[in-house]
Amino acid sequence: MTDPITLEIIHNGLRSITDESFIALMKSAYSTNIKERRDHSCAVIDLKGRLIAQAENSLPIHLASMWGLMTAVLAKVPVDDMSEGDIFVANDPHVAGGTHLPDLNMAMPVFVDGSVMAFACNIAHHADMGGMAPGSMAGGMREIYQEGLRIPVVRLFRRGELVTDIFDLLLLNVRVPDERKGDYFAQVAACRLGERRLKEMAARYGRTVLLDAFDEIITRTRQRMERAIGTIPPGIYRFADRMDDDGLGTIDIPIVIEITVGNGRIRADFTGSAPEVDGNINLKLNGSGATVAYAIKALLDPDVPNNQGVLDVVDVTAPEGTVVNCAPPAAVAARAHVCQRIVDCVIGALAPAIPGLAVAAANGANTTAVLSGIDPATRQRYVYLETLGGGFGGRATKDGKDGVQVHITNTSNLPVEAIEMEYPLRVESYGLIEDSGGAGKYRGGLGLRRVVRPVGHDTVFSGTGERFRFAPWGLFGGEDGVPGRFQRREPDGSLTALDNKPAEVTLRPDQAVVMETPGAGGYGDPAERAADLIARDGQSGKFSADYLCRAYPSASK
Amino acid sequence: MSWFIGVDVGGTFTDFHCLNERTGEAFVHKAPSTPDNPARAIVEGVRTVADRLGIGFADIHRLAHGTTVATNALIQRKGGKVALVTTKGFRDLLEIGRQVRPHMYSLQEDHPEPLVPRHWRFEVDERMTADGTAERTLDGKDVARAAEAIRTAKVDSVAVGFLFSFLNPEHERRAADALAAALPGVHVSRSSEVQPEFREYERFSTTVLNAYLQPVLARYLADLGDQVGRLSGTIEIGINQSAGGLMSIGRAHRFPVRTALSGPAAGAVGAIHVAKLSSRPNVVTLDMGGTSADVALIRDYRTDTAHDRQVGGFPVRLPMIDINTIGAGGGSIAWFAPDGLLKVGPTSAGAVPGPACYGQGGTEATVTDANLVLGRLSPRGLLDGEVALDAAAARRAIQPVAERLGFTVERTAHGILAIVVANMVRAIRTVSVERGHDPRSYALMPFGGAGPLHATDVARSLGMREILVPPAPGILCAQGLVVSDLKEDFVRTRRTRLAAADAPAMARVIGDLAEEARRWLDAEGIAADDRETLLALDMRYVGQNFELPVRLPTAALPDAMTLARLFAATHEQSYGYANLEAPIEVINFRLTARARRAETTPPPPATPPTAPPAPVGRRAVHFRWEAADDTSVYRRDALKPGHRLTGPMVVEQLDATTLLYPGDRMTVDAAGSLVIEAAP
Repeated sequence: MTDPITLEIIHNGLRSITDESFIALMKSAYSTNIKERRDHSCAVIDLKGRLIAQAENSLPIHLASMWGLMTAVLAKVPVDDMSEGDIFVANDPHVAGGTHLPDLNMAMPVFVDGSVMAFACNIAHHADMGGMAPGSMAGGMREIYQEGLRIPVVRLFRRGELVTDIFDLLLLNVRVPDERKGDYFAQVAACRLGERRLKEMAARYGRTVLLDAFDEIITRTRQRMERAIGTIPPGIYRFADRMDDDGLGTIDIPIVIEITVGNGRIRADFTGSAPEVDGNINLKLNGSGATVAYAIKALLDPDVPNNQGVLDVVDVTAPEGTVVNCAPPAAVAARAHVCQRIVDCVIGALAPAIPGLAVAAANGANTTAVLSGIDPATRQRYVYLETLGGGFGGRATKDGKDGVQVHITNTSNLPVEAIEMEYPLRVESYGLIEDSGGAGKYRGGLGLRRVVRPVGHDTVFSGTGERFRFAPWGLFGGEDGVPGRFQRREPDGSLTALDNKPAEVTLRPDQAVVMETPGAGGYGDPAERAADLIARDGQSGKFSADYLCRAYPSASK
Repeated sequence: MSWFIGVDVGGTFTDFHCLNERTGEAFVHKAPSTPDNPARAIVEGVRTVADRLGIGFADIHRLAHGTTVATNALIQRKGGKVALVTTKGFRDLLEIGRQVRPHMYSLQEDHPEPLVPRHWRFEVDERMTADGTAERTLDGKDVARAAEAIRTAKVDSVAVGFLFSFLNPEHERRAADALAAALPGVHVSRSSEVQPEFREYERFSTTVLNAYLQPVLARYLADLGDQVGRLSGTIEIGINQSAGGLMSIGRAHRFPVRTALSGPAAGAVGAIHVAKLSSRPNVVTLDMGGTSADVALIRDYRTDTAHDRQVGGFPVRLPMIDINTIGAGGGSIAWFAPDGLLKVGPTSAGAVPGPACYGQGGTEATVTDANLVLGRLSPRGLLDGEVALDAAAARRAIQPVAERLGFTVERTAHGILAIVVANMVRAIRTVSVERGHDPRSYALMPFGGAGPLHATDVARSLGMREILVPPAPGILCAQGLVVSDLKEDFVRTRRTRLAAADAPAMARVIGDLAEEARRWLDAEGIAADDRETLLALDMRYVGQNFELPVRLPTAALPDAMTLARLFAATHEQSYGYANLEAPIEVINFRLTARARRAETTPPPPATPPTAPPAPVGRRAVHFRWEAADDTSVYRRDALKPGHRLTGPMVVEQLDATTLLYPGDRMTVDAAGSLVIEAAP
């Protein structure tokens, strides 16, 4: 067994490898998703396909893809058939462990003493993966074939040589192939940096010590998680929630969870959840598993290292063909919406057992807005995409944060000055929505309102809203947050309601789109809210006198 | 009139580095800090220094001062009460920020609440657009109403931040003037003056921080000016800023936020000076103190400039020397994570109670305790025995950690050091990859109290062959202050396509900047011969959301082709590729003006001393945990230029200890720095 000091130094070295690879990938990639939003991830994976180390700020959903990819690689290619310099590439959710097509996964075997010791892996969200619509993320499609190019596990490099036949095929199927080529090579460079560093480590410590350390790291993390789970009273916990709709006509889509806690493990059974839908919000089972693992980690031990030990304490089952375990050829591009609801379900189920750690429902959405048109000055087409935060749920000791990204997403907004320099649009206002947080001992956070209009031309607005019908719930007597909505402001100032997932709504220069994201639920009985907090709600103007009178009648007398 | 004094005020000590500009004579001094009023230690120290040097106060030309008053005020949230006046529709912008959480996985951690509460954020009707024209003109009545409300609120300062004020500051200026007139005694900061760059949240945040710090810094600087003025009316005071270089007390008064990140900047300037004296153009600096370690990369005697940093949880957008800080210092505490792994830092025992061996009530095992137990630090203590160290206390602190591991105290102490070294190695690797450099082609320059003690370990782990230990590693920041220039940065955001080749428009922007710089140089009374201006453009490919600073070789604007080539080269260096066909745009124009100093040139080679230095003693040092080696101890001042020695050895001086492993070879160069070649 490796001693805790050597283990810490090896673990530190492994995280250094993933961090360096993460930066190298970000620095040399082309896609803004990677450069600006850091929608990429790097990891070291062992021979059994277990995640050993992952760059610190990796998105939770990428845990799923890393795990899924290696399972698919090892199922298809025996380790003995791999050669030094091989690099595998894949993206397909249905056959290659991915979660949606723009996330391109790579894995490179690292040879030490003549055989594979580990894999240097990474994922990056490419700006386009082909398919019907630019960006490969648009809604309105019913099958994965429409969403983009599906790549099973194939070798992009064989013994260090680029397999040009494959690469030509991949590039022919994407828009702006030159830029995507840059993204591919950024990922290749990150793999090779990881390979080089792992070999340096092996030269220093030896293969056996490292393999032992891999086991030990996972075991210790698993034990740490088991101890954390041990603080939850054993039992069966249930919760059910609903998605608003899939954008293609299916509404009220239930997500049902039954969590069994015992022996340091979490068993999550999604039986009763909706059948998969026509729209693109379906999730593969590994994505559901990674999301449950995220929620458990966030609730119990946010600083636990990202490795297999976190995933291993979670067993997830769901009938095949459901929205949380979809079958081919389900469309999956916007699977993140279901992820958000799964997080709410896990927290909702466990809340009675761990009231001090649970939070009320957050805005629970990745509210997305796309405005596109022809810039009258340059006559060029532009596409402006934004994801908006909303309220964070009330907590056991404090209010939920106002206007912030929640749970599985944490991407920044685009500055108003950047939007207006870049696009022929005017942002009229950007602020918090008064009275949108649910009352409680600790109130829910406020949603965001952004008002945008085109300047000197017509623009087309499309959006994706969730929790626009089913409000973010309050906890332990806390009130629900206010759902979000999209509206169009007409020339006379009146407001027209738009769909929750509006497609191609034309806006004239004398009209504007008003986007309002959901607030969040409150925590605990509003009657217990401290007088100074209520006073501050009023003084800040975040809540109206009417609201405060209604929600906290005793305090406002 | 020929003495320059650099004063660096730290949490524990105030350091002085005095330099006679005419003769090159230097003198250093260290005194305990006076945190309740830092000026007291400064003035007392200047008296002591003058006394020891036998000079009058009139012989002191300049006092260059690095201050942490602003930084501390921010960390302790002891700034002034601030109101914000902003564009209608956007009063929440300061609160929303970039809508992200500080920790992806934490349900409990939030970014700090804004320094201006919502009810003190006032909206006024006005709107500038992306072409710098007013879509709605400023409503004076709104400003008057805001002024009235602010008067009632009794704040100390007002920040004014309007959209697109970096393009057209007219509305902001009018509002700021009206507010200043209506609110006598209230400080006013406006974003178009504090940092006229695009991206409103970062600009507003920087402006609010500036307003928050103004009352604190104003009080402190007024007091310092008074006290120094009483010594002599002719001492110029220069205040260190985060970009390196000094500003006058008047500018510091207006832009206190520029001092908030200035701490490590002086160290980097000092490091460049030492690097020049030893002719080492490429250096990785490691400034390790009690709480943290700062890492910076020097290439061709220059550091990179960073623009975005966080102070006290708030973003600041200002030019600053690109330095990375990690929680690794002498006071870093060893602890067990929930998974049973041993960690060191970032929590530090700080100056109080300090490491267990300080005997001030600390009980947890720290890096300093580990060094003492292993014989790497002298049991005689720090500062020539002034701070005694208690080896038994160090051992007692490490004992429980050792028991849990089932190791000896020595093996545990060795492990603690290995972990803190691994943390620093990781930071240096990350910085190097980020900048696109290989640390192996750099020399390592350790400084700060704890740097030279760990340098050989760090260098070996990174495959760096050479280590350069400055003559006075403990007070390199004060030395950096003495060699700092008066300096000012000017910036304009004008988005301009390179392909459109709008050369006259670009020349106009640069002309405006040059004019602004000239006015500043005039105001600071800098002679024509001493003036220097440097031009840099922040450029990007069209469609990118981030810019790369590109330094221009001359103060005149090169043609578009040359600019494109320079950008491509920078992009290649930073990101590993360049696209020769893609359209390029300029976002920011930056001009740095400064008063040029005499060039630093390496001293001529010294004649080697005839006799080798004599060790002052020997002690058992654990280079390995298994056994101790009998090791010679030298005093640093016994090592003269030309001396050559081979490790194992310990070199001790007032406030730093340098460790050489068996086989490490050391030469003292002509500048008095130790050049160490680490044995592989």
